[in-house]
Amino acid sequence: MQVTVNFYSYLKDLTACAQATEPLPDGSTLDELFKKLSVRFPRLEAIQKSILMAVGLDYQKGNYLLKPGDEVSLFPPVQGG
Amino acid sequence: MRNEKNIEANSECGLRNVECAMKRTLEIRTGPIEEIEQLAQRHISSEAGAVIYFLGIVRGTEEGKTINAIEYETFQRMAEHQFNLLFDEMERRWPIESVRLIHRVGVVKTNEPSLWVEVVAPHRGEAFAACQWLIDEMKRLVPIWKTPVPKSQTPNPKSQ
Repeated sequence: MQVTVNFYSYLKDLTACAQATEPLPDGSTLDELFKKLSVRFPRLEAIQKSILMAVGLDYQKGNYLLKPGDEVSLFPPVQGG
Repeated sequence: MRNEKNIEANSECGLRNVECAMKRTLEIRTGPIEEIEQLAQRHISSEAGAVIYFLGIVRGTEEGKTINAIEYETFQRMAEHQFNLLFDEMERRWPIESVRLIHRVGVVKTNEPSLWVEVVAPHRGEAFAACQWLIDEMKRLVPIWKTPVPKSQTPNPKSQ
């Protein structure tokens, strides 16, 4: 399956892109997606603990089972106000 | 008991087949926040006893450095969704009559408001508590990020 990943804030600078697509085996989790992304974008690994992950419009944890066509968003801690 | 306010609110809350007593208004926008305009649009019922409003202003310093502005970025669809989840929770916790919230995105110059929140409730205790809680939770969950624009750098007018 393939999922789309959107990067926000300074994650766009760390990856040098705003969006990427990643092929994954069926039944993969968000954590497994992040591991693949860390290989492709090594600068993500150092800040892994602070990165927030969402699928669609909702936050999800690393054990979330991805589905084909899922739109994943990765971003740093939020700072509104 | 449903009254006119509740029915009006029900059509605005975005939830189907659910009675929404709390009226909610949310704007995430690039344009400036005009306080006088917002005050003129205030509607309160005869049950309201407290109106709290908070204005968040861009400070002239960020981490000890002088800045010209802050550039706010958002994932707008998710931000709206997360704000609405917070409004739902706020309505469960307190008897709030209405909440209105405006958050600016793009470049906001120092001394200009980036956030305007108004909470109307029967009593001040719940109005203060709900307003404080909403802002705290926004800072934890709503996907908005800021980048300081240093004093030496002129804000990009296209982003304003």
